[in-house]
Amino acid sequence: MSASVEQPPEGAPALRLHRQLEKIWATGPGWQRLAAVNHSVIGLRMVITSFVFFAIGGVLGMLTRVQLATPNGDFMDAETYNQVFTMHGSMMLFLFAIPMVESFAVYLTPKILGTRDFAFPRLTAYGYWCYLLGGTILTVSLLARVAPNSGWFMYTPLSSNVYTPGVNADVWLLGVTFVEISALSLAMEIVVSVLKMRAPGMSLDRMPIFGWYILVTAMMMIVAFPPLILGSILLEIERAFGLPFFDPTRGGSALLWQHLFWLFGHPDVYIIFLPMAGALSTMIPVFANRPLVGYRAIVVAIIALAFLSFGIWVHHMFTVGIPHLALAFFSAGSAIVAVPTAVQFFAWLATLAHGRPRWDVPMLYIFGFFFVFTAGGLTGVMLAIVPFDWQAHDTYFIVAHMHYVVAGALAFPMLAGFYYWLPLLTGRTAAYRLAVPAFWLIFIGFNLTFFMMHLTGLLGMPRRVFTYSGDEGWNWLNLLSSVGSFVMTIGFGMAVIDIIVQLRFGRRVRRNPWNATTLEWAMQMPPAPYAFASIPRIATGSEPVAPDQLALSLARGEGYLGFARNGWQEALGVHMTSGEPDQVIVLPQPTYLPLITALFTGAAVLAMLFKLYLLSLAMVLVTLGLFVLAGQRAGLGRDYGPLPIGHGVSVPPHTEVASAPPWLALICTLVADGTLFTSLIFGTFYLWIAAPHWPSNLAPQANRMLALGVIVALVIAAAAARGSLRSTSAGSNAQGWIGLAAIALLAAMTAAVGLIGSVTPHPHEHALGATAWALIGFVALHAGIGLLFLISNLLRIRAGFISPRRLTDLRLTRLWLDYTTVTGVIALGLVLALPALVATLGARP
Amino acid sequence: MNGRPVPPRRLWLLAAGFLVWCSALVVLYALHAIGCAFGWQAGALRWSLAIVLLVHLIAIAWMWRHLATARPDPELGQAAVFLQTVVVWTLIAALVATVITFAPSLVLKTCI
Repeated sequence: MSASVEQPPEGAPALRLHRQLEKIWATGPGWQRLAAVNHSVIGLRMVITSFVFFAIGGVLGMLTRVQLATPNGDFMDAETYNQVFTMHGSMMLFLFAIPMVESFAVYLTPKILGTRDFAFPRLTAYGYWCYLLGGTILTVSLLARVAPNSGWFMYTPLSSNVYTPGVNADVWLLGVTFVEISALSLAMEIVVSVLKMRAPGMSLDRMPIFGWYILVTAMMMIVAFPPLILGSILLEIERAFGLPFFDPTRGGSALLWQHLFWLFGHPDVYIIFLPMAGALSTMIPVFANRPLVGYRAIVVAIIALAFLSFGIWVHHMFTVGIPHLALAFFSAGSAIVAVPTAVQFFAWLATLAHGRPRWDVPMLYIFGFFFVFTAGGLTGVMLAIVPFDWQAHDTYFIVAHMHYVVAGALAFPMLAGFYYWLPLLTGRTAAYRLAVPAFWLIFIGFNLTFFMMHLTGLLGMPRRVFTYSGDEGWNWLNLLSSVGSFVMTIGFGMAVIDIIVQLRFGRRVRRNPWNATTLEWAMQMPPAPYAFASIPRIATGSEPVAPDQLALSLARGEGYLGFARNGWQEALGVHMTSGEPDQVIVLPQPTYLPLITALFTGAAVLAMLFKLYLLSLAMVLVTLGLFVLAGQRAGLGRDYGPLPIGHGVSVPPHTEVASAPPWLALICTLVADGTLFTSLIFGTFYLWIAAPHWPSNLAPQANRMLALGVIVALVIAAAAARGSLRSTSAGSNAQGWIGLAAIALLAAMTAAVGLIGSVTPHPHEHALGATAWALIGFVALHAGIGLLFLISNLLRIRAGFISPRRLTDLRLTRLWLDYTTVTGVIALGLVLALPALVATLGARP
Repeated sequence: MNGRPVPPRRLWLLAAGFLVWCSALVVLYALHAIGCAFGWQAGALRWSLAIVLLVHLIAIAWMWRHLATARPDPELGQAAVFLQTVVVWTLIAALVATVITFAPSLVLKTCI
C-alpha cells in the first residue's frame, strides 16, 4: 500500500528551496549547538579538536627536545619526562592522528560522494563527544601529574600493578578505550555510508578514488581496533581485579599484550596513511590537470595494503625471542608492503608527468610529502630486515623512522588538504607571503629534527632515556634536533596564523577555484547544512559536468530530492554496486541524546578510574538504556510505500527495504565484535602454547551441565527470534515469541554466571581460570545485549514502528542472537576443551 | 538503468585472495609454534608447513584461473568488468605475496 504524502512542489526556485531545507537541516543557535548531528558541524569540530590536541602534543614533544638538547639536562626529572613523552605519543596517535583523518572523512566523504549526510548522524555526534571527553580525561591527568608514564604502547609488566601502581596506567587504558569507541563508531558510519549513500549513478567503478580509500580505511579500523580494545579491557581487569592475563608468575604472558597491541598498532600506521593518500589522489590530478593515472591499480594496491598491513605486526617484536622461521614471514611481509605503496607513488608521479602541473601551496606540501614519506619508507624496508632491526631496535633510529612515516604521511598531506579545501569553507585562499615560508620552515625543521635522530640512533642512543652523560658523541646531533624542532614549530605557528588570516583577509575566489572535478565543489561556499539542495545524478557515457556549473542546477532543485517533504531530513540510499537509488533514508533531527549518552559513558569510565565499580556498572546500564531510548524514535511510524524522489522515480523509505543502513551497520558491528572474540580465542591459545607455568597437572574444571544449559538456552532464543520475525511478517502478534526469547536469554545468562562461579583454577590464581572467566563472560555479556534488543523490539512494536513491511528491528535481533549462539558454542566449547588442552602439555619436551 | 546490478555479495571477492593469504599466515604461524613447542621432528614440521602452504597456493591459483577465464555478464555492465579486473589483480597480488612471505618455511631452520 502507498499512503498519501506531501507532494513535492514543482520548480521551486533556488532561494525558496534553500530556505525550506535550511529550516529542516540547520542546527539551532546557542545551547542548541550541543544537539548538532550534522556531518559538516561535527567534522569541523573534530578538525579543530584534533588540532588542539596536536598543539598540546606538539608542546609536549618540544619539552622532550628541551630536555634532550644538552647532556645531563635537569629541565625535567625522570618521572615527569616519562609522563611527557608517553602523553606526547599517546596524544599524537590517539587524539590527533586518527581523529584528524576521521575528521577529514567526516567532513568530506558525504560531499565528495554526492549525498547530504551520513547514515547515522547521531552516532557521528556520539563518536565526537566520546573523543572529546576521552581526550579531556587524558589531558586533565597530565595537569594533575598522574598521566600515563609507561610509554605510548604501555608494555606489560611495566604497566601492570606491580610496577605502575596508582591510576597512571588506568588513565591510558580507560581514556584511550573511550576514544576508540569513537573511532569504531565513526568507522562503521563511514563503511555504511560509502556503500549505501552515494549520488545516484555512482557505481563502484565511478566512485571518486577518495571513496575507495576511506571505505578500505574504515574497514581496517573495524578490524584493527578490537584487539587493542580487548587488550586494554584485559589489562584493566588485571589491574582492577587481579586476573593474571599478562602476569607471567601466574600463567599469563607479558608478550600477549604486545601481540594484541601491535595487531592494532601496525595497521594503525596505514589507517593514518590511507585517508591522506586519498586526499593526495584527489588533489594531484587537479594540480596536474589530468585524470588520475591507474585508478584500478590504485584500488588493487589499497586492498593489498590493507591486508598486508595486518600481517606484519610482529616486526615490532623481532627481538622478543620468536623463532627465526616465523620472523622471516613477517620480515618478508614487511618488505613487500612497500610494493602497493610504491604503486600509488608511481601512479601519482605518472599523473604529474603526463599532466601539466601547476604550482600552488598544496603542491608544496605534496612535494614535502613525497620527500619525507619516501625517506621514511626506505628506512622501513631497512628495519624489515631482521638483523638490522636487532641492531636498531629501541634506538632513536626507530623514533626517526616512525616520525618520517607517521608525521610525513599525516602532517604534509594534512596541510596540503587544509590549503586545498579551505576555500570550500571560507571562499578565500591563502596569503602566499605567509604560506610559502611556513612550508619551508616546517619542511626544513622537520628534516633537521628527525634526520639527526637516525644518526643518534645508529650511534646507539636508546629511546625513552630522559638524559645522557655527554661522552657518547650524541651532543651536537641532539642539539640540532632540538633546534630543528623549534624551527618546525615556528613553521606550524605560521601556518596556523596564515589559516586564521585567510579566514579574514584571504583573496576571495570563485566557486571551484582549483577546477576540480569532484562533487564537494558543486555546492555553496561555505556548504549549507543540507550540503546539496538536490542530489546530482552521475550520468554515464558523457563528459562530466563541471562542479561549478552543476552547483547552480542542483541549487535550483533539478537533481533528486530537490524539495522539502514532511519536515524530513531526506537522503538517498543506493544499491551498493550500481549506485541506483533504492530507498529514501529519513535521517534524525538534531538531538541532545548523543551528548547525554557520551556523558554517561564518560561517567562510567571515570567511576572505573576511581575504582567505584558499582557506580561504573550503573552508568554502563544507563548508557545502554539510552541506546535503547535512541532506537525508539528511529525510523517511521507507519508504512508509506514508494515515495517520489524526482525525475519520475519513486523508491520506498529505508524502513521498508531489506538493505537498510542499520542492517549493514550491524554486520560491521559483528565483524568488529568477531575480531575481538577471535583475539580472545587467540589469547587463550597463545597462553596455552607460550606462557610459562601452565603445568599439565593443573586440571581445570567446568560444569558441563551448566555449559550445555547455556548453549541450549541460546539456541532456543535464536529460534524464538526467528519465530517472532515469521509471525510479524505474517501479520500475527510476535510478543509471545519475544517473551520466549527473553526467558531463554535470562536462563542463558543465569547459567553462564553459575558457570563463571564454578571455574577452577580460581581466576585470581591462574591465567587458565582467568581466560575461562573471560570466555564465559563474553557469552553472558552478549546474551545481555540480546535482551536489550528484545526489550527494544517490544517497545517499538507497541509504538507502531514495526509492521509486516517494517521488519528491520526483528531482523537485527535475529542476526544478533544467531551470532551470540555461534560465538557461545565456540567459547563454551573451548572452555570445555581446556582440560584436554592442558593435558597435552605433558607431552612437551 | 540498463541491465541488472552486480550482486553486493560479490564484493567479498575483492578480499578473497588476501583472505587466503591471511589464512596461510595464521595457520603456518600457529602450526610452526605448536610444532616447535611440542618438539616435532624437523622433517615432519617442514612437510606440514609445506603442505599447508601448497594448499593455500592452490586455493588462490584456482580462484585466479576460475575468475580470469570467466567472462563478465554483459547485462551487469561496466561495474562488473571493473570488479572482475580488480578481483583478478588482487588474486595475482595475493599469490605473489603468499609465495614471497611464506617461502622461508621451505628453506630456513625450523625451530631456532
